[in-house]
Amino acid sequence: MTSAYESLNEILEKSVRASAVFSQLDQEHTDRITRAVYKAAMDNRVKLAKMAKEETGMGKWEDKVLKNVIASQMTYEDIKSTKTVGIISRDEKNGIIEIAQPMGPVLAITPFTNPTSTVIFDILICLKTRNPIVITPHEKAAKCSIEAARICYEAALAEDAPEDCIQWVEYSSRKLTPEMMSASISLERLSEEAYSRIQLFRTLVSNRRFALILVAAGSDVIQAAQSSGNPTLGASTGNAPVFIERTADIPFAINQILISRTFDYGTSWSGEQAVVVEKAVAGEIMEEFKKKKGYFMTGEEVGLLEKIVLDKETGKISMDIIGKPAFQIAGMAGFEVPEDTAVLIAPQDGIGDDYPLSGEIIAPILTFHVADDFQQAINACIEVNFSGGVGHTAGIFSNDEEKIKEFSLVMNAGRILVNMPSTQGALGGIYNTLHPSMMLGCGAAGKNITTDNITVSNLLNIQRITLRRLNERYMRFNKEKYLDESINAVTIEKEYNQNY
Amino acid sequence: MIEYRSDEGKITCLFSGRMDTEESTRVGSELIEKIKGQDLSVVFDLKEVDYVSSAFLRICLKVAREMGDDRFSVEHVKPTVKKVFKIAGFDKIMKIE
Repeated sequence: MTSAYESLNEILEKSVRASAVFSQLDQEHTDRITRAVYKAAMDNRVKLAKMAKEETGMGKWEDKVLKNVIASQMTYEDIKSTKTVGIISRDEKNGIIEIAQPMGPVLAITPFTNPTSTVIFDILICLKTRNPIVITPHEKAAKCSIEAARICYEAALAEDAPEDCIQWVEYSSRKLTPEMMSASISLERLSEEAYSRIQLFRTLVSNRRFALILVAAGSDVIQAAQSSGNPTLGASTGNAPVFIERTADIPFAINQILISRTFDYGTSWSGEQAVVVEKAVAGEIMEEFKKKKGYFMTGEEVGLLEKIVLDKETGKISMDIIGKPAFQIAGMAGFEVPEDTAVLIAPQDGIGDDYPLSGEIIAPILTFHVADDFQQAINACIEVNFSGGVGHTAGIFSNDEEKIKEFSLVMNAGRILVNMPSTQGALGGIYNTLHPSMMLGCGAAGKNITTDNITVSNLLNIQRITLRRLNERYMRFNKEKYLDESINAVTIEKEYNQNY
Repeated sequence: MIEYRSDEGKITCLFSGRMDTEESTRVGSELIEKIKGQDLSVVFDLKEVDYVSSAFLRICLKVAREMGDDRFSVEHVKPTVKKVFKIAGFDKIMKIE
């Protein structure tokens, strides 16, 4: 056994013990711990944001501060009054009493795009539900993620939280993530170090002592977690279309889209990635974008950009462009734009594999699609939605309720955001009343079990005390009739529901 | 709080109240010193204990390792505390009665 395995085993044993001690805490004590952790995270929001920016080289520290605020203050305000211990509801009429129980040790796999905010968020919802947490940060953001966890842990201990209720895996176990997931991987071809990392990661996620895995990462890691045999709540990648319908307030819509797409230089999967417009208003929309520093690329420039957005080896978005300002990305592609360019906009006449910019890209880049009419526009949104972002997020700007409804009924997205910036809107708590969350469920299509903005209700086992309440229709129904093959379902249904 | 009762090769440790981190740390080192190297069996009586901390669980583990599972047992546990031992998996490494 290597020392890493010993260390992993020790972490798990401690987590299980923390889980045992946690089970005794009452609501008041649990809330005290949660409040202390929220306060510590808020007090360190700027320091952690700057650390994240420095370590990853991605995004803007000012926007990462807001992400930390959503993860700490907004989340705390949302969950602080929620009952998460003991009896949480009584339905006297139906005789159902609900009891909230913790799940047990949670493994949190956290990303490099929102590193400290995800750590803070995962910790808050775990502690509020009395679940110990073990964090395995992305190696590109290990230092800031661990610092966030350490700050939270110290604050929790000061309120007499169970020892080891927050732990982290210090060594990187995710370096070779894509390889880890491949069923056909030839382990013999790997170096000893690579082999041991893969085995370690597999050991970690598949350990049955974890009650749940919370994963915010790329699709490979999410698949690894899901195939581990442990219940998994995962935030998947997205490719959000936004439709500016002709009744929209166009200057307002463009302003909101830019607030969103420039936020942290586009590092959120919930941000708008494709703008779809109707021909009748396309000119006005283009002018408005240009006024607000949106740069429409020429065909040649689009071609240059297409060559660098995807990593040649993995076929996925290049790490070089994630969370970088527009002018730098243009420079990497080989053309110049003004330094104050907000977003690079690529007019497109198609969607899919032949159009690399129409896939999932987390950078200040937008694709621009002009449709002949409303129906075609919706069809284009469906194409984008199903091109890497199914289950995640979609947006519409419109003042026509019928059209908003028509659009929403055909989107496959956990969040359909109306007249608001998609990045901040999806995270909840600022532009709407969705639960503030750094973990956005993407439903069955995204291989998740929920479309919720993940929050404390997703981290509880609810036990139901069920008191005797007789089903009168069943009691008065002649059960002998079930045994008679000649009596059909319609006859039984009629008699069962007879209301004398 | 802890009180000791010795009886024919057996020492019974009667704990009471909340065995939180502070209290467990306070009684832990004293207890380990008392039983170290002695040829006797040890019983932890928890009938007056309402809460056990991680520090108390560590004491149980330490004593179990020191004495071996045939010379150490935990007795009279209340249901909430029994659940703690069960979740922690201690029922597999020591006698919980």
